Amino acid sequence: MHLILFLLLGAGLLVLLFLIARRARPVAGSAQSLREARQALSALQEWALPSGVLERVFAKQDMAYVLSSTPPDVQRLFLQERRKVAFLWVCQVHKSVGLLRNFHLSQARFYERLSLGTEIELAFSFAALLFACRVLQVALYAGGSSAAPWMIEKTAEAVTRLCQVSEKSLEFLSPAPEKAIVDGPASGNFPV
Amino acid sequence: MNLAPKRMEVQAATDDMRRRTLASIARPLDRLIYLGSLRDYNTGVYYHDGLASRFSEDVVCEALADCHREVFRQLFSAPLEELVEQLEGYVNSTHAGPVEFIAAWQGLEPYRVAVPVGTDPLPAEFFFSNLKIALAILQHRLHDRPAQRPGASPQPLLGR
Repeated sequence: MHLILFLLLGAGLLVLLFLIARRARPVAGSAQSLREARQALSALQEWALPSGVLERVFAKQDMAYVLSSTPPDVQRLFLQERRKVAFLWVCQVHKSVGLLRNFHLSQARFYERLSLGTEIELAFSFAALLFACRVLQVALYAGGSSAAPWMIEKTAEAVTRLCQVSEKSLEFLSPAPEKAIVDGPASGNFPV
Repeated sequence: MNLAPKRMEVQAATDDMRRRTLASIARPLDRLIYLGSLRDYNTGVYYHDGLASRFSEDVVCEALADCHREVFRQLFSAPLEELVEQLEGYVNSTHAGPVEFIAAWQGLEPYRVAVPVGTDPLPAEFFFSNLKIALAILQHRLHDRPAQRPGASPQPLLGR
């Protein structure tokens, strides 16, 4: 009787072990999410930083030109188009920040070298940025691309800070061979 | 294949393309359309007979893709006013009448296939958006010009 009980207990433990092993992420999956996080980070750096694309999208020079030399219907079209592009920018930032956050949530806790301070800083930045993106979407919907230029600027600055912190953590999160793959050809891939 | 020699060959082909062909095309918009036309719509592979006689197919394709990206970057950074001037110049250089040209570009949006493969959505959409606005500005000029200068010769309608 005891033997049967122990055998059943052993079998139960084996099943439990099997289930736990199945739930653990495969190594390939981790590499994949690390790659996705890297891509999201580089996308953020390329789209969101004021020195590049953003500066061009929200250029005041274009606005001044259209307002001074085109009729009202062209001006309306210009504002509509800029609003569309601004929406796209906010959506891209939101998506990339979400991807990065998911990566940190799912992967970063497996690495003991990530300090609590960095984790808290990142969690706060992610939450603040995602919130800012939502607010920006509402502002753009309500008032167009010129509705909240200071907010766009602030969001871009926050993205810059997030990228810096995230880049540091991604650097030590990535094992050496992985880093070589990730940093390879993809790094020269933007924006065009 | 060793990457360093291949990169050098690509660089040589790119320089060749810039010096011999692209230098003779004045406007970046014309260059973009020209480079887009060298690409097979079905495969995305670029072809150029002149370069193909001196470089391998891979090298030619990569060099043309590099040139295409470079020109797109140039156009992306150009202010809207400059893009309008370039589009106006391009319209005047084609055989089509400005009215037909603008109608075709507004309806078919052929410029959507002129951007390099792998362009990120934001710069691509921004470029398309700017062209849409530039077309509207030209259309407005086209409607206004005869009224402003009734005695002037109608050809070229968009000429400065």
